[in-house]
Amino acid sequence: MIEMDCQPLEIAFFLPHCLEVLEFGKQCTDGFSWVSSCFVLAFVLGGYLLWCYLLFSSGHSYCHCFTSTTPSLKAGEDKITVTWALNTSFPAGIDSAYKTIKVKLCYAPISQQDRAWRKTVDNLKKDKTCQHKIVAKPYSSSNNTFTWTVQRDVPTATYFVRAYAHNSADEEVAYGQTTDSHKSTNLFEVQAISGRHMSLDVASVCFSAFSIVSCSGSSTWKEKGQGIPNKVM
Amino acid sequence: MEISQGGDDSYQKKFALPVDSEHKSTEFRLFSVAAPHMRAFHLSWISFFACFVSTFAAPPLLPIIRDNLDLTATDIGNAGIAAVSGAVFARIAMGTACDLFGPRLASASLTLLTAPAVYCTSIANSPVSFLLVRFFTGFSLATFVSTQFWMSSMFSARVVGTANGVAGGWGNLGGGATQLIMPLVFDLIHHIGATKFTAWRIAFFIPALFQSLSAYGIFFLGQDLPDGNYSKLHKSGDKHKDNFSQVFYHAVTNYRGWILALTYGYCFGVELTIDNIIAQYFYDRFNVNLHTAGIIAASFGLANLFSRPGGGMLSDLMAKKLGMRGRLWTLWIVQTLGGVFCILLGKVGSLGVSIAVMLIFSVFVQAACGLTFGVVPFVSRRSLGIISGTTGGGGNVGAVLTQVIFFRGSRYSTETGLTLMGVMIICCTLLITLIHFPQWGGMFCGPSSKTTTEEDYYMSEWNSAEKEQGFHKASLKFSENSRSERGKRIGSAPTPNNRTPDTHV
Repeated sequence: MIEMDCQPLEIAFFLPHCLEVLEFGKQCTDGFSWVSSCFVLAFVLGGYLLWCYLLFSSGHSYCHCFTSTTPSLKAGEDKITVTWALNTSFPAGIDSAYKTIKVKLCYAPISQQDRAWRKTVDNLKKDKTCQHKIVAKPYSSSNNTFTWTVQRDVPTATYFVRAYAHNSADEEVAYGQTTDSHKSTNLFEVQAISGRHMSLDVASVCFSAFSIVSCSGSSTWKEKGQGIPNKVM
Repeated sequence: MEISQGGDDSYQKKFALPVDSEHKSTEFRLFSVAAPHMRAFHLSWISFFACFVSTFAAPPLLPIIRDNLDLTATDIGNAGIAAVSGAVFARIAMGTACDLFGPRLASASLTLLTAPAVYCTSIANSPVSFLLVRFFTGFSLATFVSTQFWMSSMFSARVVGTANGVAGGWGNLGGGATQLIMPLVFDLIHHIGATKFTAWRIAFFIPALFQSLSAYGIFFLGQDLPDGNYSKLHKSGDKHKDNFSQVFYHAVTNYRGWILALTYGYCFGVELTIDNIIAQYFYDRFNVNLHTAGIIAASFGLANLFSRPGGGMLSDLMAKKLGMRGRLWTLWIVQTLGGVFCILLGKVGSLGVSIAVMLIFSVFVQAACGLTFGVVPFVSRRSLGIISGTTGGGGNVGAVLTQVIFFRGSRYSTETGLTLMGVMIICCTLLITLIHFPQWGGMFCGPSSKTTTEEDYYMSEWNSAEKEQGFHKASLKFSENSRSERGKRIGSAPTPNNRTPDTHV
């Protein structure tokens, strides 16, 4: 097992209103009025951007390798350690509705191009950005971490990690992600397994060769006048 | 005329089914495997079915393959077009091979030579290799031509439409069956323990093995003609080895072959296009899940079980009453109705109605395929293979054209593409009105003159030198047997010139 030579990724949670960014027209779930929600949304977005800036510029909790090249992980071998915590700059009690955390592997825009089956759609029910589940755990406000071996059915693509907080009705009420709102920073690649094995390769070649040889053999056999009898009852 | 009870029994005794003067069966008994006629039927439809399963084995597994090989939507679209474009020229070449070497060797050889492409799908590792294996696997669809040629050689005019329709239809069934078979095989292998990216590769061995075994079946159990194989008949002098340039010349100069090639592109070609796009259409427009979309896609292809054979039988039925003119009229009506339902399919907005319209559309479009091959055997006797091949190739050209014009990129939404395709079907089908046989007539005109006979038409393919050597005898027998294409006018058949009167009238 090869450990990735990076610090753990860190994800913060937002206030519930962030869902309006993700899903067009979805209702706020914590009962705030519309107007105050919009103001708080603006504050939150600004706060998140500021938080990200501080996080990345402070030099801790992100991998040194992100500064130069995109790291590459091998499916089935390499591991990701994900750490998440509620952003302490938000008021206490904001997480009272959070019951479960679902952490997912999500496609970066470059891997969504010309691939409608990975499209980002505002309606979360139809959204196909995050198709690979890393872990689902009950919510707790601190000390959340999980080490995940990249599964063998994860395709070759560029990814980021996103965590959704779900309430008791299993609706998404908050999220956090390892990249910015444009999904352009802090991405990593996964190199998939090929699925090929030596035995498969050998079998393919042998069967193919046998088909071709038997075809030319049959033609030669035909020339020698063999064949089935003409009239069979 | 045809042999019936009390006819010449000396060769009747050698065959399990009643035969005519060419030893072609005058009956089509579906549940018999008697050699050589019904055995040839079963061998040919099974191998054609296997080829269809192989050619369309990738689409149902695309959700896995596209992740494994990192395919984009453009890669997938191109591979789909490649899969049907390979057969365009392969079908014409197959027609030639059937004329020269016989359907048994031609079909067994092609099936065996394309099996490596299916085996090698298991080791594809990039969009380019995926496109190449789909391209070469698609060549196996040329076995359609050998199927139709073989049926036309084994069954008489009375039942040739039925035989061609059932063989072609049950073979096309493979395109629907594969949407059910491949996911099942994949699931089984995945459950046994293979990862997804390995399981789909192993799954491809199933259609490949099936294809190889069917080829061996044809080689060891089939024969080209009721009287034997081409090689044996060539040696004994019973069948002369024809001259390729003459066969080719008489095929390309017969305008009816070209019209049928184009119109076949708008029934069979449309069927192939729908096979490639319909699952995605239902998935995207009506938000059904992938399994449901696959079942709907399969049901389109599975209608071939009865719709294409139905078209062939309808052709034979209309010929009994109205002769060749009946065949042409029915073909035009059924294919035009197929176009109408295609326009409707693009217009309806609810799932249930859409599925119903799709099923009706599938019946009409597949019946039109069967009806087309009720006419093809009569276009030429000498160049039957190349005419069958050109018509079959035209089918694939239609598939490439419709996919490129209407279903590639984002110029048209899929529903608009379907409607426009329906309009194009109706327009191109109008060309059937131009087909005219001098001895039987066309849709709007009767025969050229009262004295034109079938012999005049088919003998025009042979020059006097060839006739002196007796090469035209098979065509002569065919001419006599094809007199049934006059419909109810058989009793008033004019006696052919320079020949002894037909003793069987």
